[in-house]
Amino acid sequence: MKLTRCFSLAFPALPAESIPTASVQTVPEWDSIAQITLLTLIGEEFGLEVDFEEFGDAASFEALASRLRLRSSVA
Amino acid sequence: MRLSEALEILKQPATENEELPLQLVCGFTPLHLETLVAAHLRVRFPACRALVHHGLFGDLEGNLRRAVKNQAWGALVVIEFGDLDYRLSFRSSAGWSETVLEDICTQVPEKLARLEMSLSALRAAMPVTIVGPTITFPPLSHLPPSQSSSLELRLQLLLAGWLERISSRVDISIVSPAALGERSAPGVRYDAKLDLRAGFPYTLTHADAVASLAVASLFPPEPKRGLITDLDDTFWKGILGEVGIGGVSWNLENHSQEHALYQQFLASLADSGVLLAVASKNDPVLVREALRRSDILLPSDRIFPIEANWGTKSAAVTRILKVWNISADAVVFVDDSPTELAEVADVHQTIGCLHFPTGDPAAVVALLEQMRMRFGRRKVRPEDQLRLDSLRKSAALEEERLREAPADFIRRLQASIIFDLTKSPTDGRALELINKTNQFNLNGRRFSETEWKSYFEDPRTFLLTVSYEDRFGTLGRIAVAAGHLSAGLCHVDVWVMSCRAFSRHIEFQVLRWLYRYTQAKNIHFAFVSTSRNGPLREFFEIFFPMGLENDLTLDVEEFEKHCPPLFQDVSETGDGLVTAERA
Repeated sequence: MKLTRCFSLAFPALPAESIPTASVQTVPEWDSIAQITLLTLIGEEFGLEVDFEEFGDAASFEALASRLRLRSSVA
Repeated sequence: MRLSEALEILKQPATENEELPLQLVCGFTPLHLETLVAAHLRVRFPACRALVHHGLFGDLEGNLRRAVKNQAWGALVVIEFGDLDYRLSFRSSAGWSETVLEDICTQVPEKLARLEMSLSALRAAMPVTIVGPTITFPPLSHLPPSQSSSLELRLQLLLAGWLERISSRVDISIVSPAALGERSAPGVRYDAKLDLRAGFPYTLTHADAVASLAVASLFPPEPKRGLITDLDDTFWKGILGEVGIGGVSWNLENHSQEHALYQQFLASLADSGVLLAVASKNDPVLVREALRRSDILLPSDRIFPIEANWGTKSAAVTRILKVWNISADAVVFVDDSPTELAEVADVHQTIGCLHFPTGDPAAVVALLEQMRMRFGRRKVRPEDQLRLDSLRKSAALEEERLREAPADFIRRLQASIIFDLTKSPTDGRALELINKTNQFNLNGRRFSETEWKSYFEDPRTFLLTVSYEDRFGTLGRIAVAAGHLSAGLCHVDVWVMSCRAFSRHIEFQVLRWLYRYTQAKNIHFAFVSTSRNGPLREFFEIFFPMGLENDLTLDVEEFEKHCPPLFQDVSETGDGLVTAERA
């Protein structure tokens, strides 16, 4: 839910049902600037220090969700 | 404001979907700053959708030149050291040799001179606010960080002089470094990772502080117009009725210096045209004598009216608001008693109520800062400083008017009116009158500075500013009319008059002068009835007794039939006005 909210804020034109399958390929607005905004939102929402290099190649909703699950299991 | 909050704000539709274009001029990637500026603009103007335009990365100078060509409500210019010389940026690899540092000191003044020219051009097109520099440059000097280097001091000196000149000569507002420092500590402003990876140098907290202060500086809220103060344990320390005139104090010896600060603050408000009044439960004779003490820091002639009696404070406030003829939401009431504050707030729900924290100097200093926020204004005009005097004289005039027959009274005023035709949209007084006046206002239309300038680009338009004085004193510029001439008709699009000028038949003189000067046989008024323009409607009902509709046309004969005898001396100045026949 938190990650969905981040996507909804970073990409306001993206329909809610498209968020779980969203990726760099399917969302035209998802450029490097949007990536930084998205990662900053994730940092705020999850209370994390987001390392852009660690998350930088996570180019889809699923990839980011997976990275976050890994982070929380390690913590 | 967090980034998620900003984006949530921007997700909501604007209440009226009006566009608010703004130029964000900087040399770095605007990233979160752009989002936060847009969000703070939405908070400031909920009806508007902010459109923030920015330029190219690394080219502040070019972005300034390009910004002049774009229509916008204003420009926010954010300058960092890297914009003055790229070698002062963490992204530079030019080296830190003495030769480089010396060269930087040579180049920066030249860059500042070029920026000043571009800023002047930008200011001519729209309001401008400058922020920065806000983050430090790399540790270029060989000195330890506890010591200022020569480079650092020279740059600070250059910048301080440059900003002072920009602010005073070019009329650009500068975001206060002190105010920024309170919201964003210097040590936590710079985000090295984001700067070196993406070209955005600010932490989120700092970006929010910059956005918030910059928007407040570019679009300050309407300053309050009046302050009503209590006396005992507020204006002075002590209860006048208990300790007597010599017993109340405001000095260091009696540990009451915070009251001296308060009096000095009120005096500075009076100098900038804020109306001051007293509402005190006290003996009026004692109050009058105490306010005449030679060591008082706010002379009693700067206060009008003085309500000293044993009635309720809310009733005193009611009477003061009536004399001032301004609404409660433009006024602040200060008292040391929470009970009195609550009583006044209960009756006057829109008045600003501030508690005076007697005995707590730190809280008093904080209160003065808060009050400065509410009353601060960018410019103090001659009319602001006349306001109290003209109110006092208006009260005297009203008393005399009630004793005499109207025509005799007007004739004995020995009044003179100057009609100024100078078409100068950069003179803020005319725009200020239009945007502040509600009662004698043709249609309630408001203009931004950019819209006002655009209006006069049509050569058929005219601007008429009216100044007035009589034997009671000068009122300064008190009325503005703007319109255009076409096809033999004079169209009045905007017409306002200050309420201080009522009861002098100035409005009749304005119309007579317009008919004569434009030679138009008819004047069309873009009239719209509003909830507050009752005095204007009463005036028009003289000529349209069957009722008022939007858009009125009055011919000169009908006007003259109803116009009373006019006795003012009239003169004119400024550029000529094209007549209706020639338009």
